Amino acid sequence: MNKNIIAMLLAGGVGSRLNILARQRAKPAIPFGAIYRIIDFTISNIANSNIDVVGVLTQYKPLSLMEHINSGRPWDLFGRTRHVEILPPKTGEEISDWYKGTSDAVYQNLGFIEDFSPELVLVVSGDHIYNMNYNELISYHIRKKAEATICLIQVPIKDAHHFGIAEISKHGKVQKWTEKPKDPKSNLASMGIYIFNKDLLTRVLNRVAQKGGVDFAKDVIPVIFNKNRVFGFNFSGYWRDVGTVDAYWNANMDILRKESGLRIKDWQIKTNHFVKGKIGDRPSAYFSRSSRVSNSLIARGCIIEGQVQNSILSPGVRIRKNTVVSDSVVFHDTTIDSNTIINKCIIDKSVAIGSSVIIGHGKSTSNKTFPNQLYSGITLIGKKASIDSNISIGKNCIINPGVHLIKSKCKSGTTY
Amino acid sequence: MNEVLALVLAGGRVDELLCLTERRAKSALPIFGIYRIIDFVLSNLMHSGIENVGILSQYRPHSLVRHIGTGEHWDFIGRKRGIRILPPYRGLKGSDWYKGTADAVFQNISYIEEFNTDHILIASADHIYRMNYKPFIQYHIEKRADATICFTKFKRKSTRFGYGIVDQKGRLKRYSEKPTSPPSDLVSMTLYIFKKEFLIDILKKNTSAPSHEFGRDIIPKIISDSRIFAFKFKDYWAYARTVDSYFNTNMDFLKGKIDLDAWQIRTNLFERCVHGDRMPTFINGKVSDSVISEGCIIQGKVKNSLLSPGVEVECGAEVVDSIIFHDTTIERNAKLNRVICDKDSHIGKNAVIGGSGEKIPSDEFGNLLSSGITILGRKSTIPDNIIIGANTVIYPSARIIDQEIKPGSTRR
Repeated sequence: MNKNIIAMLLAGGVGSRLNILARQRAKPAIPFGAIYRIIDFTISNIANSNIDVVGVLTQYKPLSLMEHINSGRPWDLFGRTRHVEILPPKTGEEISDWYKGTSDAVYQNLGFIEDFSPELVLVVSGDHIYNMNYNELISYHIRKKAEATICLIQVPIKDAHHFGIAEISKHGKVQKWTEKPKDPKSNLASMGIYIFNKDLLTRVLNRVAQKGGVDFAKDVIPVIFNKNRVFGFNFSGYWRDVGTVDAYWNANMDILRKESGLRIKDWQIKTNHFVKGKIGDRPSAYFSRSSRVSNSLIARGCIIEGQVQNSILSPGVRIRKNTVVSDSVVFHDTTIDSNTIINKCIIDKSVAIGSSVIIGHGKSTSNKTFPNQLYSGITLIGKKASIDSNISIGKNCIINPGVHLIKSKCKSGTTY
Repeated sequence: MNEVLALVLAGGRVDELLCLTERRAKSALPIFGIYRIIDFVLSNLMHSGIENVGILSQYRPHSLVRHIGTGEHWDFIGRKRGIRILPPYRGLKGSDWYKGTADAVFQNISYIEEFNTDHILIASADHIYRMNYKPFIQYHIEKRADATICFTKFKRKSTRFGYGIVDQKGRLKRYSEKPTSPPSDLVSMTLYIFKKEFLIDILKKNTSAPSHEFGRDIIPKIISDSRIFAFKFKDYWAYARTVDSYFNTNMDFLKGKIDLDAWQIRTNLFERCVHGDRMPTFINGKVSDSVISEGCIIQGKVKNSLLSPGVEVECGAEVVDSIIFHDTTIERNAKLNRVICDKDSHIGKNAVIGGSGEKIPSDEFGNLLSSGITILGRKSTIPDNIIIGANTVIYPSARIIDQEIKPGSTRR
């Protein structure tokens, strides 16, 4: 089957800075916006750009991701000539190893790419929240007669040292490339989205792999940008790498902020509703007489008797009477009993919170174990944790998955 | 329960629901936000372990066909499991439209005979209840009955049902369909189980009769010389044959009489009603005692109402005691009171619908529409600032240019 273009989606991200949210799932599989997972944005972008063959490179805790992507049907990537294929690491005669990096993962699957003899290969990451029609990128790539094109976005110069930074000529050609520069000369950061002529990709990946290179930004781009026609494509819409707890929480809140530019409906993001226990078979949300809801996203199967403000509730969440949940993100099937106050929390699936509990109040001491990850007041509660009645939990706390909390007071910045 | 084949009677069109059933069978009527009425019987069959289901449909089956799809949503797909829509067909002998419930079954005897089952369960698709059919089937087998009919107690006097009189051993002694004065409080749920051979036999005997309804023509005839038993169902059971009963059943849900989560009712997730591309509900208004489905955007007030997916209620708008179907937009400051509004409608700014002249019955349908409900047909476009009185019916194709529509009016 010949295709002009295929997409390789890098979905192996560990997301360790997302702390307990990524403990049991790959970063792209983390729930987002009540019913979506992070990867839905990239897959929907691919499908909406009419690219119809996608290889998904998975490695870290791939099960929830595989179940989610399934046959590809929710994105219409299912049919005689359309499909999604999960490409986990494999052992073979020549290669038998885990993926050692982004370019290594693609290198180990050059055979998959070859099956479709495409002219172009789109390499994208499943870690970002954005909306992009890749056809604009593709026509730019063709118009420039480029061999490779890198998507670039302007970032604040103070953050530039986190990214691969490009300097480009007025014609768009990449003139300089530095991965995570200490002293950035430009604020054009790589979005981890590349388009390659397949011939160049095959050649360069073979060469780089022989020298032990494994990463697009560190090993591949540096050896091609001055020898080959490598161009930069400027993207200027909403784009977030939700790699930290703070960025993840903020991007969720962006859904509720009209001016943020994050517009899931307009972007036509699709998800898989059919995975067991997600939203299939659940009735519509029910709001009782005592409910008060403002500026919130409420998924199916939720039963709301209390107050919800500026929050995002996944399917099956139950909020009892006189409880107030504000500025929080709550995952599937969590129940919060009466008279409880929760502020600025990310609560994972199937958590049970008792009555008269207070979470997210008190001093804003950074987390003692992970001061670089939890400092802005967000408290994380892990999957299937249970919190007894009358407990008070401060800010920047971590309640680990499965913990049954009976202690009556947890100061800000503590971990259980 | 592979010894039982189920047939679902889903063909009925009922004029009593006015324009709500103008383009769909009654069993395809949306209910409780995301469901259709037929979901209840299909989910019951699924949870009772019945593996093969035939659906007898005749009237406007299109939305039903699409809704049922491959049957996978009720797990009726597999090597031994299946669901089939059985529309009327023309054969060598020039078959014809179904002339009644019994005739619909009779015309599908060849389908029935494909299955090596001893019993045929026949259920109406028009009722809202949760029932495990296994005890019913068990009872039928234990009694060595030729047929068993399911009854439920119904206190209000009505002439819409079939009534039974049952002896102490459970034998059905008398049955009268739609009598002028009910002889008992046991009403038929249009849920039967027949021995297959017995069913085929009686249907063949009835072919020359002028009428072909189970309730009216078959059951009264077989009571005296066959073993016909009655089974009593005691839980919640509701029907939606009239505007009032449809409305009240919806309101029963808001009163907590129907626990959909516990009932495990399944529906078709692919259909537009729950289509995958909708966002979760966004709420920034006042919502109380209501069901709000995905894709709804609520900025105004919703009270005691049920909203299907994709309904928008803009700032200042108020929806009270109403049922709003999919993708309807209610613009700023519009007020709806006791309204059933069909899909894809558009209510203009400051429109006031219902809530006035509740005592004035409908001019055309006085016996069907007199309790203050207003019905807006599919794709209604209601202009800004209009006032529409209660008991009004706006048909789907009606063009409304008035500034006021008096209570009890009908517009086509």
